[in-house]
Amino acid sequence: MKEMIIHGLGQAYENLVRMFADFLPRLVVMLVIVVVGLLVAYVLKTVLRTVLHVTKLDRLSEEAGASRFLRMAALPSMTELLSRSLFWVTWSGFILIGISILGVAGLQEQISRLFLLLPAIFVAILVLFLGLVTANFLSRAALLAAVNAGYPSPKLLSWSIRFVIWALAISMALEQVGVARQTVIAAFSIVFGAFMLGLAIAFGLGGRELARDFLERNLGDKKTKKHEEPQPL
Amino acid sequence: MAEEILLQDDFLRQLMSVGEVDLLVAIPSYNHAATINETLQAIEESLHQNFVRERAVILNVDGGSSDATRQMFLDTSERRNAGLKSLTSLRTIHRISCEYDRSPSQGMALRSVVAAADLLRARSCAVVSPGTASLTPSWVANLLRPVYREQFDFVAPLYARSRFQGLLARDLLYPMSRAIFGRSIREVYSDEWGFCGRLASQCLEQEVWHEEAVRARPGAWMAITAMCRDFKCCQYFLGPKTAAVPGTSADIVEAIRQTVGNLFWCMEANQAQWLNRTGSQAVPTFGPDHELSADGIPGAQEKIFDLFRSGVNELHPILASILAEDTHAQVKAIALLDPGKFRFSIELWVRTLYEFAASYHRAALNRDHLVQALVPLYRGRLYSFLLEHAASSAEAMEVESEILCQEFERQKPYLVARWNSKSEVKP
Repeated sequence: MKEMIIHGLGQAYENLVRMFADFLPRLVVMLVIVVVGLLVAYVLKTVLRTVLHVTKLDRLSEEAGASRFLRMAALPSMTELLSRSLFWVTWSGFILIGISILGVAGLQEQISRLFLLLPAIFVAILVLFLGLVTANFLSRAALLAAVNAGYPSPKLLSWSIRFVIWALAISMALEQVGVARQTVIAAFSIVFGAFMLGLAIAFGLGGRELARDFLERNLGDKKTKKHEEPQPL
Repeated sequence: MAEEILLQDDFLRQLMSVGEVDLLVAIPSYNHAATINETLQAIEESLHQNFVRERAVILNVDGGSSDATRQMFLDTSERRNAGLKSLTSLRTIHRISCEYDRSPSQGMALRSVVAAADLLRARSCAVVSPGTASLTPSWVANLLRPVYREQFDFVAPLYARSRFQGLLARDLLYPMSRAIFGRSIREVYSDEWGFCGRLASQCLEQEVWHEEAVRARPGAWMAITAMCRDFKCCQYFLGPKTAAVPGTSADIVEAIRQTVGNLFWCMEANQAQWLNRTGSQAVPTFGPDHELSADGIPGAQEKIFDLFRSGVNELHPILASILAEDTHAQVKAIALLDPGKFRFSIELWVRTLYEFAASYHRAALNRDHLVQALVPLYRGRLYSFLLEHAASSAEAMEVESEILCQEFERQKPYLVARWNSKSEVKP
């Protein structure tokens, strides 16, 4: 009995040692991969930050109004945000490779799926960013044009443009990462269609005078409009 | 240098066949078939009467007219040759027409003109607009003569104005450009001006022709270049200016986008030259330095005030990102005033403009948007001006204009301080 227990313990000890002997090199490899990944991610971040500084992305972002939104959300500058995103995406990739090296049962499949998702997430972030910049730029252009031309409700026009572009960008980003693809497309079609129908009905029924005024301003006698104000030059 | 510019072969051939000239008069055109005849006649008469021994060329640069403007230019010139035999010119006056592009661009037109001036080694050049109905032979002579005979490098025109005409130029462009660049040239943004060949060559060498500000208002850019590089500038009083087709001038939004956008861009491009300049120098003036007639009535003032008030309300976040907190608060406060008691003081107006310029410099937002955001505030200032001067005499308005100029100069250190604090970013 005593011998059996000693034998069992010995075998368990041997198994443990074998397992450690088997696991330890993989752990070391994983740590090496993580450290190398950290270095690669850092280098990529530095390179991207330098390139973006040279191309003056922050200035573009400031001009387009995207920086204001970032500041409101307590986020760093656009250059910093993109270079940090690249750092984390790259390092996360290396960490996932490292974890897959450990060979933990059940994790392999999840890691492969995550791997496939990483580029899509990066593209989705980019789509959202471009959507934000475009929406801000076009809505501000519409607001200024409407205010300077003396159109009624310029903010409504501006926010409508912003809303449509945001809705488009968000649905594109969600479709990119594959989240409830069918639902997103259906929801976007319904929201967009309803919005346009609402505008058409509102403008057609409630704003006949406005429509006439709009058409007269733009297609009517422009000379009359110009002479409302003294000749500037 | 001119050969390196993409001049069309046919244009280059015509220029080379002319050889060197003393005088060059350019007519940028686009669908001006109805008026180019009169413009050409005035130029020819001027050259025949005033520059008898000089070699001269009249250059038409066209932006792809669809109404046979170029054909009119060439046909007219042939007819005139026959009609001017009795005049005293001893030399042939050459005429060249070229199409610089299929779409009009003042910048591209001027680029062709200065390239031609450089190639022909023209000593004195003038640009005149076929859209100006009041152009006379004396105008052309007065733009060419100071450069050709008095060794000036740049000649700006001076026009007789009615009291409420050209208020953007009198309330913003002239006093601000005078305070910034240190030369008191009244009509920087004009369609007629004269310049020397040396200035043309220097302008041609600059890599700025693709810039929107230069493309929109190349004449003003040339004037500011002359002021900043200490070329000898002068002004010549030409008389009243009337458009050939009334109502064709740019509306207030477009005028501000073109002129103020150009002024801010020129400030940015020439900051090394003006940041340390103080005060302003009067430039030699031929004839009276201003002439305001008492005629003219202000337009629809209530509408102007409404546009100012709604603009200040609707553009609140945009103005907050451009103006200092205190200035923005003052603008919002005056927007609440009763229209009858409204006043946009010159101190506030100058500070507002300087803050816009500094925000343009640090690109607080898209630069075209920033310039457009100025339109409602200009309307406020315009309404205040019309209210204040509805019954003023021309002399009183001129005194007020001088006070405004001095206020711009007084506050210039404030502009320089804001300009240099480029890193300032609004929370």
